[in-house]
Amino acid sequence: MDVKRRDIIKALFGGSAVAALATSVGVVPTAKASEAEAVTPLPEAVGLMYDATKCIGCRACMPACQNENGLTPDTGSTGGLYQQPETLNSSTKNLIKLYTAPDGHERSFMKQQCMHCVDPACVSGCPMEALHKEPLGVVGWNPSLCIGCRYCQIACPFNIPKFEWHKVNPKIVKCELCRHTVGKTASQPACTRVCPTHAVIYGKRSELLAEAHRRIAERPGFYFEDRVYGEIEGGGTQCLVLSHVDYSNLGLPKLDRESAPSQVRRSTNFIYRGFLTPIVAYGGIVAIMRNRWKDHLEHVEKEKQPESPSQENRA
Amino acid sequence: MTATWQKCIRLKEPLLTKPFYVFAGLAAVALLLGLFRELTGLGYVTGLNDGYSWGLFKNWNVTALTALGSGGYAVAVMAWIFNERKFHPILRTAVLTSLLGYGTGMLALGVDVGRPWNFIHMNNPRNWNPHSVLLEVAVCMTAYALLALDMENMPPFLERIYRGSDPQKSARALKFFNFMQKTFPFGIALAFVLPSMHQSSLGSLMYLAGNRVNTLWQTPRLPLLYLLMAYILGFACVLLVLLLSSYAWDLGRDSVILGKLASVMSWMTLVWLAIQFIDLGYRGVVGQLLIFNRYSVCFLTETILLLIPAIALRSASVRATAGSLFRMTFLLTLGGLLYRFTPTTIAFNPLGDYRYFPSVAEILMSIGFTSIAVVIFLFAVKKFAILPASAGKIAAEAAMPPFDTL
Repeated sequence: MDVKRRDIIKALFGGSAVAALATSVGVVPTAKASEAEAVTPLPEAVGLMYDATKCIGCRACMPACQNENGLTPDTGSTGGLYQQPETLNSSTKNLIKLYTAPDGHERSFMKQQCMHCVDPACVSGCPMEALHKEPLGVVGWNPSLCIGCRYCQIACPFNIPKFEWHKVNPKIVKCELCRHTVGKTASQPACTRVCPTHAVIYGKRSELLAEAHRRIAERPGFYFEDRVYGEIEGGGTQCLVLSHVDYSNLGLPKLDRESAPSQVRRSTNFIYRGFLTPIVAYGGIVAIMRNRWKDHLEHVEKEKQPESPSQENRA
Repeated sequence: MTATWQKCIRLKEPLLTKPFYVFAGLAAVALLLGLFRELTGLGYVTGLNDGYSWGLFKNWNVTALTALGSGGYAVAVMAWIFNERKFHPILRTAVLTSLLGYGTGMLALGVDVGRPWNFIHMNNPRNWNPHSVLLEVAVCMTAYALLALDMENMPPFLERIYRGSDPQKSARALKFFNFMQKTFPFGIALAFVLPSMHQSSLGSLMYLAGNRVNTLWQTPRLPLLYLLMAYILGFACVLLVLLLSSYAWDLGRDSVILGKLASVMSWMTLVWLAIQFIDLGYRGVVGQLLIFNRYSVCFLTETILLLIPAIALRSASVRATAGSLFRMTFLLTLGGLLYRFTPTTIAFNPLGDYRYFPSVAEILMSIGFTSIAVVIFLFAVKKFAILPASAGKIAAEAAMPPFDTL
C-alpha cells in the first residue's frame, strides 16, 4: 500500500489541527450548536436572593455561617479580637462588604459568596466531579474525590472557591448552601435564618426571580438598569443579587449570556464527541507507521549489509 | 566543525564532573523542599494565594516546559510521518528530552496538587468528569509519559544490556527488543495522538477562565496556538540541546539536520504569528496592543522575541553558523515559553486585590525540578548511546553495533 502525502497530512492532523482550525475560523460552530450545549436551570433549583438595598450591614449572617459550618473565625486583621476577614478565605464562606463610590455618595453592601451557577465553570473543570451539582442545583464539594488541583479557583468567574494553603490536608472552602443541614435539621441556610431585615432570602430560583422582578416593577429606575444580577449572566446563577449600584462595582463581573463551560464544550465537543476523531486519527497513523516501519527495517538491513554481513539479524 | 551525524554513540566521558555536582545539588534542594511541602502545606513554601492559585509549578514546569519537552513529538512527526530519514540519528536525543520534560513536569504537578492521595480514585473511570479539560490533560499526559515515551526510550537501554558481558541477559534483551519492534508502529502512533490532544487541551484549559485571562490572549484559538507552539518549542529544545552537546563533547555539527530543524521551526513560527495576528484582527482587539500597559507590553515582548529570530532564521547563513543559530533559537525559546507562561499568570486577572510573585523556595524548587532533568540527561548520554555522531567518531568506538533501528 502506497501512502500519499495528502493522506498523511489528513491522518496526522485529522485529530487535532484541522479540527481545531475548522472550529477556530468559525467554520463549524453554529448557533444551533450553542443552544445544544446550553444548560437550563433545574426546575427545583434553589438559591438565595440578596437585596443590597435592604441590607443594613449588621453581618449577623457571618458568624451564623461560621457556626453552621464549623469554621474558625478569621480575626487576623484585628489582632485576635474580632472576626474581620478582608476577603473570602479558607475560614470565611460568606462576607458582607461595603462598596463606596470614589465620590463618596453612592454606597452599597454586598454579600459575597458562591453564586451556585446554573452551569458552573468549577464543576465543568473539576477532573473527578469533586465539585458537583446536588439534586437542587447546589454546588457541593466532595473531599474524597478532590486532588487539590485548584482548577476551580482558576475557572470561577466570581473568584469564590478558597483553599487551605497552610494545611497538610487542605480543603476547598466555599458556600454549599448549608446542604448538610437544609432539609434535615433546618428549613433554610444559616444566613437567611438570622437576617433581621430579610435582605437575603432562600427559596426556589424561579420564585426568587419572580420576587426580584416584582420589586423592580414596584420601583422602576431604582435598581441598577432595572435588572437582577444572575438571571442571565454566565448562563444564570442560582444566587441572585439586587442593588442600586453598578453590579460590576460589587465584584460581579460582566459575563456573556452563554456560560464559559458551554463555550468550551462548543469548541471541544466537535473534536472529542464520542472520542471519534482521536480514534480515527490513531488508526490512520498506525496505518502509515506500519508502512514506514517496514521501509525503515529494509533500510537498516541495506545499510548494514556491506560493512557487517555476519552480524546477527533482528526482526 | 561540521559533520554528518549517522548513528548514536555513548559518550566515553567521566560522569562526576563539576556541572553534574551543581545540578545534582540543585535537584537535592528541590527534593528536600518538596518533602517539606508534603509534610506542611503549600502556603509555607510557595507564594501562591487564593487569587493566583496556579504559579510557577503548573504554569512554568508543566504548561511551559512540557511544550519544550515536545521535541520527541515534533521530531518524530518529521522523521516518521513526513519521512525525513535524516532526522533518525537525533530521534533518541529528542525522545529523551521529552521524557525528561514530561517526567519533571509531572513531578512538579505532584508537589503542586494539594490532595495527591486522591489520585488513586482516578484509576476508576466512573469518577471521571468527561467534560473536564483538565482530566483529559492529566490522563493523556500520564499515558504519554508512561506508555509512549517509555517505549520510545527503551532501545538505548536494551542495547546497553545487549552489549553487556552476560550472554544470557544479552539474549533476553535481544528477544525483548524483537518483540517490542512488532509493537513499535502502534506505540509511535500513540506518541503522535496523545500529545496532539493534551498540548492543545492545555490551551482549552485557559479558555474556561473566560474574561479572567486578558483579552489579548483569551481566544477560542488558544488550543490551536498552544499545539503549534508545542511543535515550535519542541524543535527549539532539540536544537538547543544538540548545539550545547556538540559544543560540550565535540560531536561536530550536522548542518543539514540542524539547518532543516531551524528552517521548519522558523516557518512554523511565522505561521503561528500570522494566525495570532489574524485572530487579534478578527476579534477586533488589535487596538489594545497600543495601550502600552503591562499586558500590551508583555504581548509585544512575546511577539518581538518570536518575530526577530523567526525572520533571522530564514537566512541560510544565520542557520549555518553555530553561534547565531544558538542565539536566535534561544531568543525564540524565550518568546515561546513566555507565551505559554503568560495566560495563567501575567495576563490572569482574578477579581480583587491579589499579587503573586514566586517565593524563593518555589523558585528553587522549580529550578531544581529542571535540574533533575539535566542530571538524568548527563547520566544517560554517558551510559547509553543517545547523542548523534559522525561515521568517524562511531568507527573510533569500535564496539558491537547498536540496536540501530530506532
